[in-house]
Amino acid sequence: MTHRIALVGNPNSGKTTLFNGLTGSNQSVGNWPGVTIEKKVGKLKNQNFEADIVDLPGVYSLSSLSLEEEVTTKYVLSKSMDLIINIVDASNMERNLFLTHQLLDSTIPMVIALNCMDIAKTKFQGINIPKLEALLGVPIVPITASKKHGLMDLIRVLEVTSYEPRIPQKRYSDQIETTISEFQSILEDRLVATRFFEDGFKADKLSLIDDSTKIKLQESLEHAKKQYLLDFDMVLPNERYNLILTICDQVLTRNEVEIESTTDKIDKILTHRILGLPLFLGIMFLVFYLSFGPIGTFITDGFVWLIESFFSFVASGIESAGMAAWVSSLVVNGIFGGLAAVLGFLPQLTILFLFLSILEDSGYMARAAFIMDRVLRRFGLSGKSFIPMLIGFGCSVPAMAATRTLDKSEDRKITTMIIPFISCGAKAPIYGIIAGAIFASHSYLVVFSMYIIGIVVAILSAILFKKTILKGASANYLMELPEYRMPTAKNTFLHTWERVKGFLIKAGTILLGAFIVIWFLSYFGFVDGTFRLLSYEELEFSLLGMLGKALLPIFSPIGFTDWQATVAILTGFVAKESVVGTLGILYGVAGDVLESGALLYPALQAAFTPLQAYAFMIFALLTSPCIAAIAAMKKELGSWKWLIFALFYEITVAYIVALLVYQLGLLGIGALLTAIVFIVVIFIVYSTIRRIIKSKGSTCSSCSGCGIEGSCDKIDKNK
Amino acid sequence: MTLSELKPGESGRIIHVFSNNLRKRIIDMGLTNGTVVKVKKLAPLGDPIEILVRGYFLTLRKSEARTIEIERIGVQTV
Repeated sequence: MTHRIALVGNPNSGKTTLFNGLTGSNQSVGNWPGVTIEKKVGKLKNQNFEADIVDLPGVYSLSSLSLEEEVTTKYVLSKSMDLIINIVDASNMERNLFLTHQLLDSTIPMVIALNCMDIAKTKFQGINIPKLEALLGVPIVPITASKKHGLMDLIRVLEVTSYEPRIPQKRYSDQIETTISEFQSILEDRLVATRFFEDGFKADKLSLIDDSTKIKLQESLEHAKKQYLLDFDMVLPNERYNLILTICDQVLTRNEVEIESTTDKIDKILTHRILGLPLFLGIMFLVFYLSFGPIGTFITDGFVWLIESFFSFVASGIESAGMAAWVSSLVVNGIFGGLAAVLGFLPQLTILFLFLSILEDSGYMARAAFIMDRVLRRFGLSGKSFIPMLIGFGCSVPAMAATRTLDKSEDRKITTMIIPFISCGAKAPIYGIIAGAIFASHSYLVVFSMYIIGIVVAILSAILFKKTILKGASANYLMELPEYRMPTAKNTFLHTWERVKGFLIKAGTILLGAFIVIWFLSYFGFVDGTFRLLSYEELEFSLLGMLGKALLPIFSPIGFTDWQATVAILTGFVAKESVVGTLGILYGVAGDVLESGALLYPALQAAFTPLQAYAFMIFALLTSPCIAAIAAMKKELGSWKWLIFALFYEITVAYIVALLVYQLGLLGIGALLTAIVFIVVIFIVYSTIRRIIKSKGSTCSSCSGCGIEGSCDKIDKNK
Repeated sequence: MTLSELKPGESGRIIHVFSNNLRKRIIDMGLTNGTVVKVKKLAPLGDPIEILVRGYFLTLRKSEARTIEIERIGVQTV
């Protein structure tokens, strides 16, 4: 018989690592709370044992705040599993055991996997596991999931343990147990009764009860409330933590002197009062400099040379084989032309993904949220929004999914709608290649400015949304800082590979399809009334050319002077990567590339002035995201109305900004570029200094305009 | 006094958590009455604050810290 086993534990306690260890799959593991946002199922197979393992989002408690936590609490309360593996981080036992105590009130069979034994051993002198087992009344297996220690022991316990419903121990004080039994006499289940004790009628499952039960419960609740001095919702948590302290005192042998941990030492520098912010900006700049600066470009050049050589080899083979003209045109102009432009960017993207993985795995992402919260709060967001936004630099699709870690729906909406402005990895080839061709030695500055413009527009949009359609959105912030971990080569590689793979799969499927369609539309058309394959000189008459020409008047105010640019932008709605690929096809570069090896640069230099190139990049940056991201957006926003609004907003903003840049730029090209960078830098420096001065000036920094100097005592007392 | 008034390096014992958006979560994460917390540091921009509670590091905004009533205990330096 196949058992269904759920992994339940605190965020960042190692559930996904254990899941991978048990099922042999390669789910991505990060080092910030909230990596797992949906439940995932995998198979554990042994000679004589088989089970479905369900990986659930981490929760601190069964009182859920965010959407992703709700996935877990609903699942636990539905009791649709045969057994729970509760993962307890041994190095952080006090807080982890809180959830354990909530779970122990259910009848679901449970096994505790005591994880991170390696770290715990450096923190404590000893952990008395048999004693802990006796106190909690469920089997406990010590493991170190990251090193795969103890997994066999865990599987052995899973094989022999009972899958019959457990009878929950009555562990609390007599007074509390009496209250629980009163609730239980109405609600039947002890877990539901304790949930009601903690959360009242807000607790999950309680919306289903009928009116007469509700009245009985209400009476029972009123009666119970009178018996406690403490706030009623604090009674059970207080009791649990008291129990936990007693348990920890009996089980843990603490070190006599508190040792300064590595995390402490690193944080002394990285979240330093003065150094913290410059270091953060420096790290971000370094990541982009290494990805798109000289090093990234150098690797890219080598890689492009390899691709070209390979393609020209194949192309010459095709030509000498004497196939039909349209076949060789399809392969050389359609497929190779598009792919060469896209794949050429792979090295830079890989470097970017690699750094993002390292930032995630090491635990710095959570610090980034900590550092940025004060800034993001201004815009109605929380520091936690920073993580989805940062992932947005890689790809909008996982970034939008990551908004589910945010607590409030307004928060999620705002973050989801501004993520498309964050320049994703697929937009990077557009700047990489255009800036490389047009701005040469200053290209990485131009690329960096694109990222900054994206961020600024995202922030301004967030403020706008907060002030207008999503009034009252004010995000919460409460976040654990995980211990720093040395990113393992394997995990970093896996993480990077997973993203690169996503890019490659897209290149091989959607993009390839798009390239073929674009090739067809651009190499076929009507000449003198006949529909036929066109030569390079006749591309103007193609179907796509006709569409591009028809739309050109709309785009000419923002600096698009030829239909090729218009068409390239249109194909960006399929996938941003294809913008560059399309330019490659439309400028007929594939053929040239294969002979001269000079890629797109000469064609682009001929087609764009620097100002036009800049306006083009801005429109590509800010306009509606690709189909995949639109689908993700629909999912997170929840309605067509919001989706259409978001897309309309994004396209409008893109047009207006590009229009401003181009029209103003016509008045003075060089001055404008400098001015943009200058304004952005001033903006950042100004707001930073202002905040530092403000927060040093009084302890009242975070309340706005109470009018009282000094501390906020007076107001608090009035409350 | 409230948690927001503690300086980095100072510790306090929680007397009560007053109502705020995150009250339930704050309590569930171990900030119950009688718990000792130590302020580790302020974020570079002065807010949020990082505290050590029950052996782990938690960051919260001053607006929430202001709703946590504490009594100061023994002053230490970081």
